[in-house]
Amino acid sequence: MKKKIYIIVGTLTFVLFGIVLFPGLSFSSSEDDEYAAIMEELEEEDKGSETYSVSDPLYYWNKAMFHVNDKLYFWAMKPVASGYKTITPTIVRSGIKNFFYNLGTPVRFVSCLLQGKSEAAGTELGRFMINTTFGVLGFGDLSYLDPKLTPPPDEDFGQTLGIWGIGNGIYLVWPVLGPSTLRDSIGAFSDSFLSPVTYTEPLSVSAGITAFDQINSLSFRLGDYETLKGAALEPYEAFRNAYIQYRVQKIKD
Amino acid sequence: MKKIIYIITAVFFCMAGFVHGAEHQPLDELKVPMEKAISILKDPQYQKQKEAQREKIWEIVNQTFDFKAISMRTLAKNWKLFSDKQKEEFTSVFTELLKNTYIDKIQGEFHNEEIIFTGQDIISSTKARVNTKILREKIEIPMDYSMSLSNDKWMIYDVNIEGVSLVKNYRNQFKEILAKETPAQLIQRLKEKNEKHEQDRIKEQD
Repeated sequence: MKKKIYIIVGTLTFVLFGIVLFPGLSFSSSEDDEYAAIMEELEEEDKGSETYSVSDPLYYWNKAMFHVNDKLYFWAMKPVASGYKTITPTIVRSGIKNFFYNLGTPVRFVSCLLQGKSEAAGTELGRFMINTTFGVLGFGDLSYLDPKLTPPPDEDFGQTLGIWGIGNGIYLVWPVLGPSTLRDSIGAFSDSFLSPVTYTEPLSVSAGITAFDQINSLSFRLGDYETLKGAALEPYEAFRNAYIQYRVQKIKD
Repeated sequence: MKKIIYIITAVFFCMAGFVHGAEHQPLDELKVPMEKAISILKDPQYQKQKEAQREKIWEIVNQTFDFKAISMRTLAKNWKLFSDKQKEEFTSVFTELLKNTYIDKIQGEFHNEEIIFTGQDIISSTKARVNTKILREKIEIPMDYSMSLSNDKWMIYDVNIEGVSLVKNYRNQFKEILAKETPAQLIQRLKEKNEKHEQDRIKEQD
């Protein structure tokens, strides 16, 4: 009888040790399993319709513009935005951000309608009415009053074209404006007709307002460009890919 | 006799429970280390000891990110081009690059940002996505973490910032590099980048 117990205990001890040691012993094979599982998952992903590559026949022009914009950022935009940030309280900058966001309502509203997002279009319109009047020309954002007024995802004509099944076309980097694609450039050009800033006379004032909007937005995002650039081995490729991924996500939501 | 069998059975059930029974929520499991990291960033005791703070944060990051999986995923098909030694080397230098970039970023530019956990998508029994928002001044930056359950622990294998996946972004870069260069050259480039970063960091501290 006692012998039997010893055998049972012995076997169990052996099994237990085996369980403990097993992951260690089979380390390399579990790594292979993990890799196989990952590859299977990635292949499944590739079968999905979205693709993150974009054709880049204007590579040399684009890369040159990427460098121009990079210099523009470090020599002009960044110092101006940093200086502006130090002398301007957050509440003022945030008010200005809201003001420009409110001015963008026509673009988002029309895009929502074109994409059949009537609920989001309604929210945009409601936000515009309330923030323009009670929010004093959009400087204040009263969406905290009602969760129904939470801003819906931004829509624009480039995304609308995407939803209609039009692909990116070629990748384009514009001086000052930065990364885009043929489709999104057409989208942005169309959107500009819905922006009150476009109709401001003279042209220099209109450009000045746009620049101010850009500097104000940048004052919230200082350091992000440097991080993404610093993290990349191939900065040009990293930004191109990030832009495409960003747009795919925007079209999805 | 019976007692012994009972004990053995009990031990077995305990072990089984330990291995399979633990049902963790990925969101909760991410929240703990994140909050710990933020408290270290805010801790006045570390304001003068940046190096010690860096080590502390690294410890937490290391337990939360699955760098092996991240490396496999960024190399994807190209992983097979690497020898066993190169795989290890790549994982270590790439981990170093990510560590440098992101710990510097959060250490250097932490201005009382808040992290709000907005929800989680359980994709399968071993895959999930945790949604967060970073609240900086008056803007919100959506940041999602892809997590997978391995060895009974939810670990991060990808970070999505405003819809841009970190892994996909690196995969694209490495694919382009490996189309022209060898794995050894890629490792060398990562090493050089890390060395330069280290020098810059030392310079900055002086």
